[in-house]
Amino acid sequence: MKIKCVACGKEGLNKDTVGINKKLLGNKVETFYCMDCLAGYLDTTTEELLEKIEEFREEGCKLFL
Amino acid sequence: MIYADNAATTKLDMDAFEAMRPFLLEEYGNASQPYSFSRTSRRALKDARMTIAECIGALPEEIYFTSGGTESDNWAIKMGAGCEGEVITSSIEHHAVLNSCRALERAGRSVSYLPVTREGIVCLETLESVISERTKLVSIMYVNNEVGSIQPIRELARAARQRGSCFHTDAVQGVGHIPINVQEAGVDMLSASGHKFNGPKGVGFLYIKNGTGISAFMDGGSQERQYRAGTENVAAIAAMAVALRKNCLALGEAREHLGRLERMILDRLRLSGVDFIRNGGGKGIPGNMSLSFRTMDGETLLHRLDLKGICVSTGSACDGTKTQVSHVLRAMKVPLEYARGTIRISLGVRNTEEEALRIAQSLIDILK
Repeated sequence: MKIKCVACGKEGLNKDTVGINKKLLGNKVETFYCMDCLAGYLDTTTEELLEKIEEFREEGCKLFL
Repeated sequence: MIYADNAATTKLDMDAFEAMRPFLLEEYGNASQPYSFSRTSRRALKDARMTIAECIGALPEEIYFTSGGTESDNWAIKMGAGCEGEVITSSIEHHAVLNSCRALERAGRSVSYLPVTREGIVCLETLESVISERTKLVSIMYVNNEVGSIQPIRELARAARQRGSCFHTDAVQGVGHIPINVQEAGVDMLSASGHKFNGPKGVGFLYIKNGTGISAFMDGGSQERQYRAGTENVAAIAAMAVALRKNCLALGEAREHLGRLERMILDRLRLSGVDFIRNGGGKGIPGNMSLSFRTMDGETLLHRLDLKGICVSTGSACDGTKTQVSHVLRAMKVPLEYARGTIRISLGVRNTEEEALRIAQSLIDILK
């Protein structure tokens, strides 16, 4: 099933995007934002979120492996 | 950026930095060399030892410079435990102590890990129920690093002394933050770390009371009266002494300031209706607040605060599938639904009221 952004409707959210939603909004979230909408919602930048994803991956977080 | 993780490390004090400068540039002589060029380095070591001793009520010859709290703890426990007898510690110690004790266990030694109260306190009765004539070493931290609880060190040390046991305290979170006098506390050994009180990283000390039977941890040259080999880091040692003296002179002022900031954050959170508990009951070291929130993982909170430019620590870690609650929160029996959502805000004297309000408001914005 293709996962859609709850805000803009963008389709096909990838594993990293779903992972960063879970990491920053809570593991139990059922709806997801695309990277740009998540950055807007959290008042940050997409680049900052991408940095976070890389750091989580390096730490071995299973959401990004 | 708002830095509220002062229990992890602190900003280097500017006077401490200035104290380092000559020994990094012009005065680089090895303090162990007898020529006059090294005289300034030797004097700096002597002065630093004296300053540090004064700050904790020790004699200068009872101060041994190390690379930090971890080395001090390793030395005190692995060498202080001797060759036989039992060791007692608590279940909420820093890993420098816990893993040193595990090493002793692997070598066949018996180690008891004392439980703590809901407030994160090791009770005298608990120690007395376990300690015996066979106990060689008792090691209980002065201040817990996660929740800030202050242990009844004087009573615990007295109980150890009465049984003829050696008493060590990991005071890394306490030195430079609360008044500590080794004679009044009655401890045999005390660990401290420079960067926890606005000194540089990579330097610390171990207080060893005269007459304590402990052997050298590092073998090599004859530095530190043959107890801790290795060329002294004169710059860092000089800076550590400056930082400690400054902190000790301003303890009352800092306590008042940090108490005010704590109250501002807690009042705001309570008024907002956010569901949280404060671990340790608030009787701990000033500025250290372990807060557990019911509705969100601590790690999520940490990263959300980070995105707002606020640095704090967490009491839990998530690997993407499972949230691991820290050994301290588990020992304190913090309810799991709260323990998962734990962050540690550790304020420092440089934090302002405006920053405290921003921290509280950011938490409310995230949690509401």
